[in-house]
Amino acid sequence: MSTEQTEPHVPAQRTEEPDLSAAATASTRLLEVEDLKVHFPIRRGIVVERTVGHVQAVDGVGLGIDSGGTYGLVGESGCGKTTFGRAVLRLEEPTAGRVRLGGEEVTAMKGERLRRFRSRMQMVFQDPLGSLNPRHNVDMLLSEPLKVHGVGSKAERRKLAVETLDAVGLPKSVLERFPHEFSGGQRQRLGIARALMLRPDLIVCDEPVSALDVSIQAQVMNLLDELQDEFGLTYLVIAHDLAVVRHLSDRVGVMYLGKLVEEADSETIYERPRHPYTKALLSAVPQPDPEVEANRERIILKGDLPSPANPPSGCRFRTRCPWAEDICAEVEPEWREAAGGHKVACHFDL
Amino acid sequence: MALLEVEDLRVAFGASTAVDGVSFSVPEGKVVGLVGESGCGKSVTSLAIMGLLPKGRGRKARQPVLAAASEPVGSGLKATAAAPQSIAASGGRSRGGADVNGRAVFDGTDLLSLAPAAMRRRRGKDLAMVFQDPLSSLNPVVPIGRQITEVLERHRGLKGDKASKEAANLLDRVGIPDPTRRLKEYPHQLSGGMRQRVLIAIAVACAPRLLIADEPTTALDVTIQAQILELLKDLVETEGTALLMITHDLGVVAGICDEVNVLYSGRVVESAPVRELFARPTHPYTIGLLGSIPRLDLPIHEPLTPIRGSIADVIRWHDGCAFAPRCDRVAAPCVEGEPALVGAVHAHRCVMAEEVA
Amino acid sequence: MTTAKIEKLDRLIEATATARDAKTGSLWRQSIRRMRHSPMALTGAIIVGLFVLVAVVGPWVAPYDPTAQTWGREVFLNQNIFPGPRPENWFGLDHLGRDMFSRMIVGARQTLLVGVVATFIGFIAGAFIGGVAAAAGTFGGRWGERVEAVIMRAVDVALAIPMLLLALSVAALLGPSLRTVMIAVGVAQIPIFARLLRGSMLAQAHSDYVLAAIAIGVPKGRIVVSHILPNSLGPVIVQATLVLATAIIEAAALSYLGLGNPDPGSAEWGTMLADAQRFLSGAPQLAIYPAVGIIVTALGFTLLGEAMRESLDPRLRRQE
Repeated sequence: MSTEQTEPHVPAQRTEEPDLSAAATASTRLLEVEDLKVHFPIRRGIVVERTVGHVQAVDGVGLGIDSGGTYGLVGESGCGKTTFGRAVLRLEEPTAGRVRLGGEEVTAMKGERLRRFRSRMQMVFQDPLGSLNPRHNVDMLLSEPLKVHGVGSKAERRKLAVETLDAVGLPKSVLERFPHEFSGGQRQRLGIARALMLRPDLIVCDEPVSALDVSIQAQVMNLLDELQDEFGLTYLVIAHDLAVVRHLSDRVGVMYLGKLVEEADSETIYERPRHPYTKALLSAVPQPDPEVEANRERIILKGDLPSPANPPSGCRFRTRCPWAEDICAEVEPEWREAAGGHKVACHFDL
Repeated sequence: MALLEVEDLRVAFGASTAVDGVSFSVPEGKVVGLVGESGCGKSVTSLAIMGLLPKGRGRKARQPVLAAASEPVGSGLKATAAAPQSIAASGGRSRGGADVNGRAVFDGTDLLSLAPAAMRRRRGKDLAMVFQDPLSSLNPVVPIGRQITEVLERHRGLKGDKASKEAANLLDRVGIPDPTRRLKEYPHQLSGGMRQRVLIAIAVACAPRLLIADEPTTALDVTIQAQILELLKDLVETEGTALLMITHDLGVVAGICDEVNVLYSGRVVESAPVRELFARPTHPYTIGLLGSIPRLDLPIHEPLTPIRGSIADVIRWHDGCAFAPRCDRVAAPCVEGEPALVGAVHAHRCVMAEEVA
Repeated sequence: MTTAKIEKLDRLIEATATARDAKTGSLWRQSIRRMRHSPMALTGAIIVGLFVLVAVVGPWVAPYDPTAQTWGREVFLNQNIFPGPRPENWFGLDHLGRDMFSRMIVGARQTLLVGVVATFIGFIAGAFIGGVAAAAGTFGGRWGERVEAVIMRAVDVALAIPMLLLALSVAALLGPSLRTVMIAVGVAQIPIFARLLRGSMLAQAHSDYVLAAIAIGVPKGRIVVSHILPNSLGPVIVQATLVLATAIIEAAALSYLGLGNPDPGSAEWGTMLADAQRFLSGAPQLAIYPAVGIIVTALGFTLLGEAMRESLDPRLRRQE
């Protein structure tokens, strides 16, 4: 540890700044994802393995996030949203498609280059306890990102750790403590602090509050808001809870069975949902108001999610859609712009 | 007199108190909610009513007792994992059983004073329970049909074809398509929503008069949650079953409950009819919870007003209000002994309620 | 008056906020704390402690030279006369007129040595093989997966060979000696440790904190060494304690078969048991002393191992 070279306190990745001229035209576009696919092979056989099919976890998803913005990706379990988030960060190998962060093509990177580049994109996990090494105390947890990227001396790293702890609302005195000594909300603060240590551009938050108690969820959501302003962060928030996503995001995409079905500004999508699935989702979320609950009309979807290994032909949602017609089984609806900035994949204008 | 009257229920695991004097009632044909966050004692309360908490000493005692949780005995259903976890989450100790005190009067009999055998006869027949995790509550190696007919044989004396027919009827009743074919399937072949339906089918197999649902939709997706809530509502309306709904989700409460009891740290801090509670929340904890939830029907980006601190920051009720460390309106009277539950229809446990309101 | 109340409140809040209960400290420290309250761990620790103490100080406290046939003339083999316990020889005499008590005490050291060295061999070699396989399979890509498959199939084959057969082959190769016993018993444990560590590491490799480490940009080698390995060692350490017990029994069995120390004078519990066999009907006590010694020692290590397993069990940890 003491033999560690001490570099000046400048995050290393900042020195290899991408040529801004290319990025400058789309000056505010930070993340650009084009037609991303992640297919997992289904292998059978014990002696000789052969691939008998593919689970199309993510099947052609494209989206862009402006610098300083928040994109919320909603969908139910099994829709591929978590896989998408991980593929963007190259924690899962994409089968096809491109991911560009700040003009650099993440999907083309390999080995050491990718490892260094990881300092610009970080992740906050759903399970705050499971994502923290139980045998590392807070000091180790927070200084590790700096250490592996060769940032600062031991004292400088500690100073930065204390600053970051302060930013997430934890006192300096917790440095020697271990993850299991904290409450759920505090652990999630630690997870966020770790993601912040390298001062990344993009943070992918995968279900950042769903494991927490209601009263703690609000604390963490407010914290994410504050940190975005303080550190100029860009978020990709992945969640199943529409209210959480709406609260955090400026733009929302709805995923179903590996594909985006609708995307719009968060205000618009909740006020005028255009895809039947979005409508059903919105109508299913229970609201903490008995008056609203008593008077609203629910779209109760029939059946369950089809298998992503063998998705339905045409429109993937047609098996559960109350409005489905013959065309839906034959032709896959195109991803079209229904109104200014409001995209939807449905044959009909609902 | 309501179907179930819980009076001054107290549950302690060794030195730690999980439920600290909870009283509420569940009338026939009504849905009563127990709402609160992890560790508030809501699950322990339900397990205590069902007689599913381990008694006496020794860690081993827990497994057999819980195995009885899911009737029937024979090849039986697997002990549910949800239950021990909730005990643990409530600050329970693995060593030693639970000391249960108070009364839970069900139709004139105090369930807490029943002998284990008598309680076993009632479980599944008069009162039934649905747990959060449908997969671990079902026996993975027994077809679901068999798991249902076992209950029918045990409590209703149905045999052979009659039992299978009734089982298919039940599956149909809970909205499972093609029920006769499904009877032969194993739990892992069903989706989460289907499994929860099967559990509900088992629970209602003997037309129980009281159904206790412990976070029945927490593990499910929203669209599936909506289906299950509709089903439960329908059961209450058509069969007149009384439903005790245990949940952390105020949205679910607003949608299904008639009466609500808000729990914090083992005590009811506020109880009221559902509309009254949401229209005029009185206890700062209830107000805080409502302020913590982002809502779809309010203007976007409205800042949330979270409750500060964490659930672990509680003080003991006899020293004062357990919520005081997290309360915005805390003042001197809050720590002058324990606050009483005041009010009849809309009751609350806050000495500062006047100022709050 | 009111200020006093407010102060009381502040104190309460402070007390709850800063309370550090039994859950403090690193996981290892917590496990040790839990073990201190377990009667099983305590019993095991006392037995093992006594055994180690005897093994260490044995040669100095033994009342007599364990090899000296001091009372040879008092033993009559063909008439089955073996003087039993008496004031000068607490455990009586063996067939050559040696003091059994001294032989037991001095033999403890050999037994412990064999057990520890054999387990050490199995642990180090097995953990290395299992660790390499797990690391290759997790981070080596497709090529690494193949390496892992080859290693683990070889381990499976080794596991299928009966321990005694393996040990006899080793003994045939090296000739009977204490070293042979240690190597034979140790080699036989390698596949067990290899499988255990690999399984444990693979489980950890799929955990969220490893994914988090990759996301941070921690180099692969460092992930294995500083994240996966420390969290995988628990079950392997438990196994080592349990293996110590079997190693002692197996070493005794090999000595009994005559593969142990060829020096007939050496005091070793397994050899003593083998020697006693001939006089089992006339002087069963000669077999009982070493047998009880082996059983109690093995039991001690087993109790300790089981208690450790329990205290390291994450499911129990969460309930506290």
